Amino acid sequence: MSHDYKSVQWTPFKKRFDLWMLGGIAMYLVGFISITYLTQPDGDSFTPIQALMRATGTLAFLLLTFILCIGPLARITDRFKPFLYNRRHLGVTTFLIALVHAALVVLWYHGFADINPLVSVFISNPRYDSLSGFPFEVLGVGALLIMFLMAATSHDFWNANLGPGFWKALHMGVYVAYALLIAHIALGAIQFEKSPIYVVLLASGGTIVAALHIATGLASFGGAKKPEQDGWLIVARTGEMEDGRAKIIKPQSGEAIAVFLDGDKISAVSNVCRHQGGPLGEGKIVDGCITCPWHGFQYRMEDGQSPPPFTEKIATYATRIVDGTIYVNPEPNAPGTPQAPSHIGATT
Amino acid sequence: MKRAHRKTHLILWLILGPAIFAIIALAVLQRPAAPINHALPGPLIEEAS
Repeated sequence: MSHDYKSVQWTPFKKRFDLWMLGGIAMYLVGFISITYLTQPDGDSFTPIQALMRATGTLAFLLLTFILCIGPLARITDRFKPFLYNRRHLGVTTFLIALVHAALVVLWYHGFADINPLVSVFISNPRYDSLSGFPFEVLGVGALLIMFLMAATSHDFWNANLGPGFWKALHMGVYVAYALLIAHIALGAIQFEKSPIYVVLLASGGTIVAALHIATGLASFGGAKKPEQDGWLIVARTGEMEDGRAKIIKPQSGEAIAVFLDGDKISAVSNVCRHQGGPLGEGKIVDGCITCPWHGFQYRMEDGQSPPPFTEKIATYATRIVDGTIYVNPEPNAPGTPQAPSHIGATT
Repeated sequence: MKRAHRKTHLILWLILGPAIFAIIALAVLQRPAAPINHALPGPLIEEAS
């Protein structure tokens, strides 16, 4: 969370994460190239460029598969929250690895053509009517262009200037990029690689990502609460609340509500972070503020405002406790409106 | 995510999920018995072989 422009918003935690990430990438590349040479069948002769091409291509696919699993998995277990926090650095790194892969392919397979190598990518194979001979490189170019757009607009500068709604919609393009990448591999490597491991990796990656997103997408629309006679919604019994954490309540219309317990105080705010729409109810209270699990944006419980010098505001909701049961009024107050918390143990 | 984004997200995956499954299945079924790279520029394949 930053109120002024910084080219990379590094924290000590993010720096450590990036070091681990770069170490892992280096190990993968060295390991892949070594195994390629050691297991090379007689008669085949890979050049170092070809081995690096395959290493970067498979790494970009595996990283993008992992990135797309982070969101749904973070909803299932807290263990993936640190990856959620560092997802942007992982995404930009994946784009750079894919770019190296593409550059190697263009130089190696098209660099010696009589025409412009970039033009050669699109016209050297005109078999658009064939499945096994389809010009799969074009699909990779499409995925790379979308990933470039994602990486180029990944900074909060663009989020602030484009608006969180448009920015989020734009960044859903990464799903289309993943589908193009799957098609790129299916019609490319799968058609000429002898090893079944490519089929297994592609099928399991695509199935896991699609299944996780469809399952969490369906779950996010389930469990809408029916209001009581006076229109308020039951949240939970006081004993069911965990200190510093929230229960997420879904009204039948409108946005989900995050009801937090901080000590003996119960407060409710919108579940949607102003930054990128992160699920605030999956975050926790840090230094007295509700903290978004995605990028650490913070809001005060009492009025839904970010602490100075930040200016973000979210809607607050009225709460009450009756006979040990917590209720929330699903009608939101205007963003940033002070709302007195309910106190556990106080007479209502 | 906002309700509208969650809806878009779900619709997108209900389209992309089966599409991904179909393309992988078709690609595996169409796979040549002795896989070769048809998609690379012809002169390079000839040169390599």
